[in-house]
Amino acid sequence: MKRKDLDQNLQIKEAGDNQQVENQPGASEPSSAPPPGQKERRFRQTDLPAHFIERRKHPRISTEPPPPAAPPRLEDYASIIGRPELDEIRFLARHLRSKTVKMVNSTAVGGGVAEILNRLIPLMNELEIPTKWEVITGGNDFYEVTKGFHNALHGGEYNLTKTIQEIFMSYNEQNRQRMEFVEDLFVIHDPQPAGLVRSKSDTRGRWIWRCHIDLSNPHPGVWDFLKPMVEQYDAAIFSAPAFTRQLSIPQYLFYPSIDPLSEKNKELEESYINKVCDDFGIDRSRPVITQISRFDRLKDPVGVIEAYKLVKKYVDCQLVLAGGGATDDPEGAVVLQEVMDAAGDDPDVIILNLPPWSALEINALQRASTIIVQKSLKEGFGLTVTEGLWKEKPVVAGAVGGIPTQVIHKLTGVLVHSVEGCAYQIRYLLTHPEFAVQLGKNGKEHAKENFLITVNLKRWLLLFQIMLGMARPSKTI
Amino acid sequence: MATAPSLPSTQPRWARSPFYFNSASHLLRIGKEKATNLQELLEAIRSCPDASIFQHTFQTLEEHHFIKEGFSNDFSHWAFAACNEVELAERLASLDIREFTSLAALRERLVHLIEAHLQKNPRAATKQAMEPFYLMAADLVVVPTPYVARNLEEFTDGLRKVSIHAIYYHFIDARLRLKLNNNDFSVWLEQELDLAQAADRMNRIDIYTSTLETVRRSILKVIEAEMNRA
Repeated sequence: MKRKDLDQNLQIKEAGDNQQVENQPGASEPSSAPPPGQKERRFRQTDLPAHFIERRKHPRISTEPPPPAAPPRLEDYASIIGRPELDEIRFLARHLRSKTVKMVNSTAVGGGVAEILNRLIPLMNELEIPTKWEVITGGNDFYEVTKGFHNALHGGEYNLTKTIQEIFMSYNEQNRQRMEFVEDLFVIHDPQPAGLVRSKSDTRGRWIWRCHIDLSNPHPGVWDFLKPMVEQYDAAIFSAPAFTRQLSIPQYLFYPSIDPLSEKNKELEESYINKVCDDFGIDRSRPVITQISRFDRLKDPVGVIEAYKLVKKYVDCQLVLAGGGATDDPEGAVVLQEVMDAAGDDPDVIILNLPPWSALEINALQRASTIIVQKSLKEGFGLTVTEGLWKEKPVVAGAVGGIPTQVIHKLTGVLVHSVEGCAYQIRYLLTHPEFAVQLGKNGKEHAKENFLITVNLKRWLLLFQIMLGMARPSKTI
Repeated sequence: MATAPSLPSTQPRWARSPFYFNSASHLLRIGKEKATNLQELLEAIRSCPDASIFQHTFQTLEEHHFIKEGFSNDFSHWAFAACNEVELAERLASLDIREFTSLAALRERLVHLIEAHLQKNPRAATKQAMEPFYLMAADLVVVPTPYVARNLEEFTDGLRKVSIHAIYYHFIDARLRLKLNNNDFSVWLEQELDLAQAADRMNRIDIYTSTLETVRRSILKVIEAEMNRA
């Protein structure tokens, strides 16, 4: 949500309403009116206490980003992953001490890659593997081209002209001339700086291309343009097997990861979770089904409401749809309105359009949930699923993108393919809590084993050792 | 981590050679083969590298070590969850990797089970799966740990402290490495401490109905019983 809109929506709080939980940043303010162009919801008569109704109409949403938290140190993860696992990470790193790494991407702030590097690089440096992060620069014409490439690599239409190819290559060349390549390992993230590999022949280091995007259905022309560059690398890394292309170089699988110590995932005091529920009018005495996602049709929020309505015939419950993107993105606003229309006058459908600094609130919402849903129709890896698994919640999710990697059907969650299937699985989990608990436990272990930043760090260390010929894969196979 | 009752302070019996606890870390490589139905899976299993057979049978047990029932190998799970071929899934799940000392034999058995199922159910061969199966392989890197055992007390101490990956490495992965129906722990007990019965009891711990944490506890129980007996 834009600050201006938020400011317009602020209302002076009543005395006694402003009890902030200790150590939790950001004041919460009730908004007096929905965002411009959005109608206030009218609820049908219900025996729900008035304060729930009031908060559902006027949720108290943080107006300011919290101050940034200090990045964790490796030792902070010991209580989460265990001492032996931490020792193994340190052991793997010991052999790489003094080996130098350069990571290059296209943006220092915003976006998933920058978020990952902000967390990963301090840990590598703490392990005494000097790791530099450099960002390529370019003019608006370059970023227009790379944005076009991004959409085209996701399958969009694109007219790849000679001029476009020249713009891409000339900015890559400028950056290549500007940068020094003296390290032992070079990790180039995503297509934007892929052309830096032309420096490979001048260096003694090994070159790795880390592709964070789904290449399963790329625009053929754009991929044909990039592929010869990619194949000059020594290895490529993808986030899911489904996202790869046939390449002549080894391809490794690095799942995206979450940081269990980040605001989004760290343990929270029960009092803070209660406060957030109170701010949003969530009744913790009844089951809460939650989907966290942008207001985007591909996340199928209306399908989630339809599934909830089928469940509600049998089990009393509440649905929380929380996400962002409905204020800055015109299509998001349209989808939000569709969601409001689908929810109608049902007061137990709680719709929250949250600002981007709501990590703590989202964490609390996930922890307060009985079931986490991610009924996407198309998905990247689906880190909201990972977050749900990590919080030991039973997850009901669409079998798309990277979700089946995370949700092993009936073992770490349940996969669904339709509204009806989604409704049935939610109903089943609500009426078989012991099964739901087992799924949650398995899901947390699955996340711990595969999708935490510490596992990702270990993967990097292993790959670096293999790339530098310091470790030979076991002779077992 | 498992806890155990305090141990009797008797004179320890010294092993002829110490046991060095190792662990293994693995990195997944994405293979070239992919299956969208059972016929394609059959062809992929016939042609994929040994490393992929290893990954989807042995290695997956480590990756899913926390599941104590309903999971045996990736092929079985895919036949069940993506192809809805319950009978084949059951047969594949009943494969016990402990009986195989070569990946060639394991591959042959997988091929036989799928072929037999497709002969009986020809329509299942080309029925589209809900999600594709991607064959992968793991590069395993052995990681030494600081733990060394020269007697049973040190052995239990090491067992309690190592990661679950070390339990996997010595107890499951070892079978293929040793080319024997055995594991590193049992071999050490028998060869270095002459504890053949304890070695045998340990080797019979069921890895399919236990999590690896439970396996760790079961191993400790065998050792503690041996120490109490002594």
